[in-house]
Amino acid sequence: MASEASKSAVPLLKDELDIVIPTIRNLDFLEMWRPFFQPYHLIIVQDGDPSKVIKVPEGFDYELYNRNDINRILGPKASCISFKDSACRCFGYMVSKKKYIYTIDDDCFVAKDPSGKDINALEQHIKNLLSPSTPFFFNTLYDPYRDGADFVRGYPFSLRVGVPTAVSHGLWLNIPDYDAPTQLVKPLERNTRYVDAVMTIPKGTLFPMCGMNLAFNRELIGPAMYFGLMGDGQPIGRYDDMWAGWCTKVICDHLGLGVKTGLPYIWHSKASNPFVNLKKEYKGIYWQEELIPFFQSVTLPKECTTVQKCYIEISKQVKAKLGKVDEYFLKLADAMVTWIEAWDEINASAELPNGLKK
Amino acid sequence: MATPSTALLKDELDIVIPTIRNLDFLEMWRPFFQPYHLIIVQDGDPTKTIKVPEGFDYELYNRNDINRILGPKASCISFKDSACRCFGYMVSKKKYIYTIDDDCFVAKNPSGADINALEQHIKNLLTPSTPFFFNTLYDPFREGADYVRGYPFSLREGVPTAVSHGLWLNIPDYDAPTQLVKPLERNTRYVDAVLTIPKGTLFPMCGMNLAFDRDLIGPAMYFGLMGDGQPIGRYDDMWAGWCVKVICDHLGLGVKTGLPYIYHSKASNPFVNLKKEYKGIFWQEEIIPFFQQINLPKECTTVQKCYVEIAKMVKEKLAKIDPYFDKLADAMVTWIEAWDELNPAATGKA
Repeated sequence: MASEASKSAVPLLKDELDIVIPTIRNLDFLEMWRPFFQPYHLIIVQDGDPSKVIKVPEGFDYELYNRNDINRILGPKASCISFKDSACRCFGYMVSKKKYIYTIDDDCFVAKDPSGKDINALEQHIKNLLSPSTPFFFNTLYDPYRDGADFVRGYPFSLRVGVPTAVSHGLWLNIPDYDAPTQLVKPLERNTRYVDAVMTIPKGTLFPMCGMNLAFNRELIGPAMYFGLMGDGQPIGRYDDMWAGWCTKVICDHLGLGVKTGLPYIWHSKASNPFVNLKKEYKGIYWQEELIPFFQSVTLPKECTTVQKCYIEISKQVKAKLGKVDEYFLKLADAMVTWIEAWDEINASAELPNGLKK
Repeated sequence: MATPSTALLKDELDIVIPTIRNLDFLEMWRPFFQPYHLIIVQDGDPTKTIKVPEGFDYELYNRNDINRILGPKASCISFKDSACRCFGYMVSKKKYIYTIDDDCFVAKNPSGADINALEQHIKNLLTPSTPFFFNTLYDPFREGADYVRGYPFSLREGVPTAVSHGLWLNIPDYDAPTQLVKPLERNTRYVDAVLTIPKGTLFPMCGMNLAFDRDLIGPAMYFGLMGDGQPIGRYDDMWAGWCVKVICDHLGLGVKTGLPYIYHSKASNPFVNLKKEYKGIFWQEEIIPFFQQINLPKECTTVQKCYVEIAKMVKEKLAKIDPYFDKLADAMVTWIEAWDELNPAATGKA
């Protein structure tokens, strides 16, 4: 297998990718990631007490935003950015000037592959994003663009060009991303299964998008990556990435963009407290019973040709159809619009002639 | 994994093997297959004697048997193509079928242990599928896995699994153009996953290492008209797979793919393959959209009703591509008639 050669041939994209990290405590975990992350610019979004000083390890190039910065930069629109929840990370997506984003949690470390080698998660995400997706027909050998794989017999040739990949959703070894009930019932379960696959999630199928180890093409899908209203003053938590994932997938399906899931793995070290999680999630547990059918039945009109237009349309439908589930969704719908307004304001200076934002 | 002390479902599963040459490959499978009943479908020259290794319990059908049993309806069973295997599905009296090609051997997992493919297929079939929402840790019913955060609780029961589609190490199942362009490529990647193919998504179903619940989906497993006298080959399992998936999606049944792996030893001749497939290569450009747009009416509540409805649509919409599809649509109806004749007690979905 030509893995050594391909490692050096994979473009680093070091001037085209920002790493967005939400944190409330410290960034010691970056030491382990140094060999892989040091070439890249970091955007640290400091949640919680803005007077606390977050120490960033030496040698990293970064910008850091605390709540005061967010308020200063967005003014009244800062209301759409969550406080006391890692959902605040999406502020980092908004202020980035790069084409790609990688976001990771501060309790996620370098994992080892079955041969014992350290996994360069960022490199795999980049490979995923730079090769097409195949949402229209399932390839039984998974991602056909990986070394040693291809499309199988019976895969229509006209679909082998694929579509641009907007999202690369990585996974986690050790502590799996379970909801509170599952954590309570199976506190000892660890994910030890290394599944050597990347695959496209088919068009028309939703998935639970986890923000712990996630990369995306900001130009293709950035405005859809709003992580919602969570944390302080909100009735719900731990549904930020889920909400973004459902919106993102509906929009990707509409615009003909792909979402990949699978490799790379990171090592998730910290099991969050299941009782705390239950308090945060419990409304989501029954709300999602209505949210999922809602997203499954969203159809976007042909006129929605940009991510922003799709997103605003979804927010209208949220207001119209989910307001009856809880008035939270009315607030959320408004926040979705505020987010897009803020996004377009912050990213106004780089508009392309066809109306797409850079 | 130790050799099985109790063979799961040994009185409920038949292993269907099409062959034209010999069954030596069964020696390697003996530890795993011997408890099961085999249905051998002998293609090609019926006067040839196929030697079955000692100790296996089997029934064998050659072309003369197929003609005798089905009479005029035998026209729906292909000749000189492994598609004839579906005759074995029809005459089986069991609930489950496992079908395997005679150039498929026992593979090893990354730890070096022999893979009991049949056992994994049975696990796949006996646990639910999850076609309505993608689980990022794949099959949540496997040991050490579960549904992830954000997976709706009302969908966690899953649906019954109708099909378990296994994969192949070594010689991958590529079409002729890919084989010609990449003759040396081997599949060496062991992907330790089973997953449900989501509702609304079609896939290329390979018949080399395939198991299914005959009660749930059997009548849809018609492998079409291939081989002798037909303009196409190597699309038998593909055709069955598209019909099966559309029907499973309509009836709320699941299709899994992934483990188990077998070791595929023989690379078929790409030039011969191209001759067989080439029409399919451009026909499938119209066939796929056809299947993607099929809407089965609510009244189609059984597999047979769904299948006959698809046959009507094939006749209506695909015959303009080639008169072959007209013949195929008729053969699909003949198949269902033959199936219901041979399986009178099971005229509805189990």
